[in-house]
Amino acid sequence: MTTPIIQTQGLTRDFKKTRAVDGLTLAIQPGELFGLVGPDGAGKTTTLRLLAGLLDITEGGATVAGFDLARQPESIKPHIGYMAQQFSLYAELSVLENLQFFAEIYDVSPADLAERTERLLTFAGLTEFEHRRADHLSGGMQKKLALACTLIHEPEILLLDEPTTGVDPVSRREFWNILTELHLDGTTIIVSTPYMDEADRCSRVGLMYAGRLVICDTPQKIRAQLHGEMIELLPDDWQTAKALTENLPGVLEVQTYGEALHLLVDSGKKRLPQIKRALTKGKISFRSARLAPVRMEEAFISLIRRLEE
Amino acid sequence: MSWRHIWAIARKEVRHIVRDRSTLILVLFTPTALLLLMAYALTVDIKHVPIAVLDYDRSATSRAFIQQITAGEDLELYAQASSMAEIEAMLMQGEIKAALVIDPNFARDLLGMRGMPMQVIIDGTEPGSGGFAVDHIAWRAEEFANQSLTNQIQAMGFSLESLQPLDLRVRTWYNPGLKSRNDLIPGLISMVLGMPALSVALALAHEREHGTLEQLMATPIGRAELLLGKMIPYIIVGLLNVIMLPAFAMAWFHVPFNGNFPLFFALSAIFLFAMLSMGIIIGVFMRTQAAALALSFLLIFYPGFFLTGIFFPIASMPEAMRMEALGLPGTHYAIITRGIFLPGIGLDILWPYAVMMAVLGLAYTGVAALFFRKKLG
Repeated sequence: MTTPIIQTQGLTRDFKKTRAVDGLTLAIQPGELFGLVGPDGAGKTTTLRLLAGLLDITEGGATVAGFDLARQPESIKPHIGYMAQQFSLYAELSVLENLQFFAEIYDVSPADLAERTERLLTFAGLTEFEHRRADHLSGGMQKKLALACTLIHEPEILLLDEPTTGVDPVSRREFWNILTELHLDGTTIIVSTPYMDEADRCSRVGLMYAGRLVICDTPQKIRAQLHGEMIELLPDDWQTAKALTENLPGVLEVQTYGEALHLLVDSGKKRLPQIKRALTKGKISFRSARLAPVRMEEAFISLIRRLEE
Repeated sequence: MSWRHIWAIARKEVRHIVRDRSTLILVLFTPTALLLLMAYALTVDIKHVPIAVLDYDRSATSRAFIQQITAGEDLELYAQASSMAEIEAMLMQGEIKAALVIDPNFARDLLGMRGMPMQVIIDGTEPGSGGFAVDHIAWRAEEFANQSLTNQIQAMGFSLESLQPLDLRVRTWYNPGLKSRNDLIPGLISMVLGMPALSVALALAHEREHGTLEQLMATPIGRAELLLGKMIPYIIVGLLNVIMLPAFAMAWFHVPFNGNFPLFFALSAIFLFAMLSMGIIIGVFMRTQAAALALSFLLIFYPGFFLTGIFFPIASMPEAMRMEALGLPGTHYAIITRGIFLPGIGLDILWPYAVMMAVLGLAYTGVAALFFRKKLG
């Protein structure tokens, strides 16, 4: 194992009444694509801000890119690219002017700037919009421009706070294709996301809950943590179906997804016919009931539910 | 300290100002507009104040007195009342601002040199024009009494020359017409030049509100580079106003400018630096533009109005307020603008004020740099 590029030791941050991040201990290797997931208010944003040197540390410590976070935050900054959750570029400046601005702040030479601008604009699909004002771009394009601005100094570490929240599905996919390319190029990326399909694309995922890192592993291993199998049920009336199935033998957990129910059972083969019979007997009509693979989403909801109990 | 960083910040700020039309108008023209508005609103040349007279004496002397009082443009005889009730009604209706009641013994006492019994009733809800009426009636009464006295002495056979009365003549220099605008406008210029400070406070709060400050804090930019880059465009805008405002005052209000313009420009630059430092402090501490605006009024405009001596003499302030006034760049700058505009005095007299402004500017910048950290929350 190489030395971690980010290493935190009991990293803690308090706000007036709440402990936003509680004793975070984490080691991230160079080149990882690390996903930070968890419900709203779990401490994802605070963690990323701490790592970017934007908040004072209450307790514990961390090193980022070989520098101590508490004592040398300014030495860390040239090595990181940080992208906040809200749009934080200059609305009145054009795409090119925003890139140029951040290049100058990061001391990128004019020659490098010219070469990188062209590459990043192509990369982000913004070439034909280079003279457009940032506030006249669509939400997805704004996110891609923000990413391009944080990449202008070719940082070793990218800290991205929910970069795809509020972005249409097509732009989301494009954004993740860019992240995957950066990952393949060797950039270390920490990205927080509320979307579990995105978490599935990470090399490692950390689940935060109430300020603590409750689980941290590869997506495969996290899915494997969920014991049992899953049955996807599409009833006509999910409320009565939920009330009925919850108490059936072998059903560990029922999660609702809109109109659909995901039932966690000890054995799919054994329980599926039983459940179908029970529904017919209870006069609850359903469109389909089938065995389905367990996704990250079920695994996390199950984990969080256990934590809440 | 990297000039490239400062330049990057300053240039993006200029682009922001120029492309956002409301900001452009705010920073470029508000000082002139404010000067125009306030100069008209605050010029205290009151005319034609309506008064009523209730004459209980009804003598030739009292009639001559009434005529003298209303001879000028200052007071206007609205009505001759016949009872106190009538006067009260007119005051209540707001038809008159003051009433003069002449005692039945007015002529007798005046000619007997025992005084001139009369009463002035004013509308206390409008102390401005009421007080003005009292002053002007008193002034005319004195004139009338002097005239009457002179007549009597001459009637007794004395020549005026042999009396050698004390002759006190007040001569006003620099503003011989005592035009209140000539004195007011240079003072107002010092006040309206506080606008760029407000703009820079708002600009910093704007960055915080829009999250761009968070983005900047995550970059290697130095704190001083950021604050200086932010200030430079507003200093330039302020200096444009330093040219526009006197030009406007001279062209529109015909205020004379007797001093040295390059000196005025240089001292104004020091003033702007000190004021913008105050603006930066406000921007550093306030989280939102609304809060920055409120605090700017509290720290820049209200003190600029009440404490810098433009309207209320500093010498008559209580000790604590006088100390506060000395901590405001505007106090020193108001002395400079008034000194350069009318008497046209130079640096030999004004240097202590210039030094004070520079010291305040450096102190405020120091405070801002001390409290501005690249941290959130």
